[in-house]
Formats: sequence, C-alpha cells, structure tokens
Amino acid sequence: MKVRVENLIFSYGKFTLRVAGMTFAEARVTAIVGPNGAGKSTFLKCLASVLPPSRGAIFVDGRDLAGLSGKSRARLVSYVPQEPAFTFNYAVLDFVLMGRAASIPAFSSPARHDVEAAREALRFVGLADFESRPFFELSSGERRLVLIARTLAQQSEILLLDEPTTFLDPRHEMEIMGLVRRLAVERRKTIVVTLHALEMAVKYADEMVFMKGGNIVASGPPREVLSEALLKTVYDIEMGILDVAGRRLIVR
Amino acid sequence: MSGRRDRKTTALFVLAAVLPVILLLLSLNIGAYRIPPKAVFSSLVGAIFPGGEGSGPSPYADILFRIRLPRLLLALFAGAALAVSGASLQAIFKNPLVFEFSLGISYGAAFGAALSVVFLGRKVPAQAAAFVFAIIAVLAVLLIAGKSASQIVSVLLSGVIVSALFQALLSLVEFFANPYALQSLIFWLMGSLGQATWSDLAVTLPIIGVGVTVLILLRWRLNVLSLGDDEARALGVNVKREKIVVIVLAALTTAAATAVTGVISWVGLIVPHLVRMAVGADNRKVVPLSAAYGACLLIVADDIARGSASFEIPIGILTSVVGIPFFIVLLKKSGKIWL
Repeated sequence: MKVRVENLIFSYGKFTLRVAGMTFAEARVTAIVGPNGAGKSTFLKCLASVLPPSRGAIFVDGRDLAGLSGKSRARLVSYVPQEPAFTFNYAVLDFVLMGRAASIPAFSSPARHDVEAAREALRFVGLADFESRPFFELSSGERRLVLIARTLAQQSEILLLDEPTTFLDPRHEMEIMGLVRRLAVERRKTIVVTLHALEMAVKYADEMVFMKGGNIVASGPPREVLSEALLKTVYDIEMGILDVAGRRLIVR
Repeated sequence: MSGRRDRKTTALFVLAAVLPVILLLLSLNIGAYRIPPKAVFSSLVGAIFPGGEGSGPSPYADILFRIRLPRLLLALFAGAALAVSGASLQAIFKNPLVFEFSLGISYGAAFGAALSVVFLGRKVPAQAAAFVFAIIAVLAVLLIAGKSASQIVSVLLSGVIVSALFQALLSLVEFFANPYALQSLIFWLMGSLGQATWSDLAVTLPIIGVGVTVLILLRWRLNVLSLGDDEARALGVNVKREKIVVIVLAALTTAAATAVTGVISWVGLIVPHLVRMAVGADNRKVVPLSAAYGACLLIVADDIARGSASFEIPIGILTSVVGIPFFIVLLKKSGKIWL
C-alpha cells in the first residue's frame, strides 16, 4: 500500500513539523534520519495518527487516514514507539495477541484464529519457542522482535517503527534490520523506520529521508542522496563517505 | 513449565467456581448465636422447598435469613467488587500500586455516604451520593496528576492528597453529626458488614453485579489498555473512551459497596497481586479469579470479625492489619517477575 503525505504541519510549542509532500511506496523500506530533535519521531507519530496533524493529510491508497475509525486505521497502519512502557509481565504470546485488538470486540477475547495469527507472527521473527516465556525475561533484542511480531499479528500493510535498533548490539541490530528488509521484500509491507545508525540506513533502506529542525532536507535512494555536504548540513559536523570493497562507509 | 502453570490455572478456576459457595454455606454457621449445622441445612431446605418436612424452627430461620445471609451476600459481592475494581484500575493506570483507596475513591464514597446519612436523612440513597463523590475524587486525582497521569508517583501523590481532603471533610460531617448518628457513623467507617439489610442490598447487589460482570467481560481489553496509550491507540482502541468506562465501573461498584460496608481497604490491592503471583499478568485470568478470591477473602475476614471474639471486630481494621504488611512486602518486591 502506498502512503502519501500532503502539506502536513504539526505544531507543538515552538516546534513545527513541515512536510510539503512525500510518498512511501509499497514493498520498500524508508529510513528517516537526522539529529535529535529533528522531528523524526513526531513525523512517525503523525503517520501513525497518534498525533493529530494541525494541517494537511495522510492518504493510504487514496483514503484519508483522518476520516477512518481507530479500528480501520489499525488494520492499515501499525506502529511501535521508541520506548514502549512495560508494566506487566505478560507471556510473549499474550503480548503478541494484543496486535489483534482491532478485530476483537471489546467484550470478547482472542479466538483460535487470533492465536494462530500470533503464533505465525512469532514463527516469522524466529521466536516460535518463546511463546510462554515471560516478557521481562527477554533481552532487548528479543523484546524488539516480539514488538515486530505484534505488528505482524496486526496484519496491517504499513509498519512504522520508531528507532527499532536503539540499545542493540551490532548482531541484533543487523538481525532486526534484516527482518525489516524481509518484511518489505517477502510480505510487500510499506515500512518506515527512524534510525540513528546511518550505516544501517545505507545498508538496509531503499529510501532515506533527512530531517532537520522539523523540515525535510533531502530524500532519495541512499546511493544518490548521500553526500558529505548533506551530512554537514544535517548534522553540523564533518563526516566522510568512503567506498570500500563495494560498501559505502560513513566515517567521523 | 507452561504445562504446570496451565494445570495450576485450571485448578484455581475450578476452585474459584466452588469455594465462594462452600465458604458462604459454612459461614452461615458462624456468629454470636450458635446454630447447629443440621438446623442451617434444614432451614435452607425449608426455604427452597416451603412446606416440606425439613422446615427448621423459626428462630433459626429468622437469624439465618434476616441477619446472616444478607451479611454474607454483602461480603461476597463487596469482596468481588473491591478486588475486580483494583485489578482493572491497576491495568488502565499501568500501575501495580493503584487501587480504589489510592485513587481517593474509597474516601470519596465514604464522604458521600456519610453526607447522605447524616444531613440528608437518606433522601438521596447513600449509594448514589457515594458514587457521585467517588467520581469527583477520581476526577480530582486525574486533574492533579495532569499530563503525567500514567506516572506511578504523581498518581499516588494526588491520591494521597485527595484522600486526605475527603477524610477531612468526613471529619467535618462527624463534627456536626448528633451523638447518636456519630456513633453509628464511626462504626460504619471502620468497615462493617453487620448493618446489611435487604433493602440496602436491593440497591447495592445489582449495581455490583452489573459492574463486576462488565469488567469481567472487558478482561482481555484490559491487557491492551495496560500498554502505553500511544500503542493502544495504534492497535485500534479508543483509549480515552474505554478508560472512562473502566473508571466509572470501578467507582460505581466500589461506591455501591462502600455505601453499605464503610471503608474496607487493601482488598483491591492484595487480591489481584496474589492472583498474578499464581497465574501471571494476563487479565483474562486475573480479573475473574480476583472476583472469586476477593469474595472468599471478605467472607473469611468477616467470619473472623464476628467469630473470633465475643464482640465484633470492625472488618476494615482486620483487612488493614493484614493488608499493610502485605503492601510493604509488595513495595520491596515491586518490579519483580509476577507483575
């Protein structure tokens, strides 16, 4: 499914997010990058309808998200915040099952087919054996995988992940981004992630969006858009770009 | 490991279905006036099949049906109400230390009921006045806690403040009450099931029945609402509306109970946590089991209150004496694995 953003403005205090126009295509991974406070998470929250835009609109395959009920929106778009709050120690399967909320009436509980969908999601992220494990016993990497499994159980075509790789070691970082890639390629999901690790964006994203001060500075495929001048503009520090053995490296 | 826990859960559910009834029947034997079990049995049979040869002598039937049965039914319903409200509030506030008491609901309700009894001569039913002030209390807590309403400390602090305010207002009612009203008011405030009459129960039990049933129906939804608000919203839940429904139901059931029983604290905290320790955090299990075991706890506490001494110990004192040490242990362990 295609997501189109038109003349989006969101203001909060002194901060204003402005996105004149932007399209996220099906089966592609878009990485939003930029310094802290650039508005990456705010943009993602607007896309997720967690924050209501002050002006402008977001269309999914031509349908205005603002005109949809919470339930119908949840069937189209799923969202994982940067630091989800965990108070209760649910079992992994119970946690993934919550992804089914949009298709389960308030007075009902998950049915057999919901459990099947949750199990299938856990299999896809490689945690099939974890279903009765208490969530708090998992590592940060495993918790991230469970959160992604929950979005899969939600069965929405658009996935918005806010910094899915923060606090992860290099191996888990790659595991998560590899999974994100597979979801775009195998399941044709439209995926938008915010990232701090530029190497990850270059390696795994089809498109990069550079943000600074609430505005979009540049966007395009990593190979085309990335330049030392752009990095200087966005991050205010000198960074070099090296091509070594067919890989593009960013050095500070 | 999961198989073992599943078996344990099944056992707890089976026990939850039968234990409240068994305890209720056994408790009919306990009280200041000894009634032999055989007489209890024949009175019950006599009541169910009137005119049969099992009809017991009438003084027994009088004590059983006019005093003990309403009292035990009140214990059953109030216990379920307090425990289920506690479990539900903990889920939606994402805060394992929250319950009716810490949100000001208990003292708000107590103030409302006292106001109605002392000044309005019960022209407004005590339950209705209790409910109005329970809602005012919880709104005040939410207002004071403000934006950080999901933060543990700010909600608890606001609850302390609002509770203190309603306790002060309650003292004011006591101050102006005439000596006769004062005596019964103070006894009622300490928590007692002894004043249960059928006419009170006719209002209280249906309210609790409906409130607890709806909260049990919402049990899985409470799992989703216990996530972050942004997450729950992104999962398609109308977070604000559903939270209001849960708060109103919790305040309603607590107020209906408190208007008759006075302030019985800690049940809403202890029971859900004991259940979580046994079966895990899933509210599909926690909420219904809390209802059953909350009912059991209050029946047993009331048995002790009226059976252990020649006089009646106010039940609110009993639940506090047991509840406070429990709360301390809980605070020490909070964040540990069962939550």
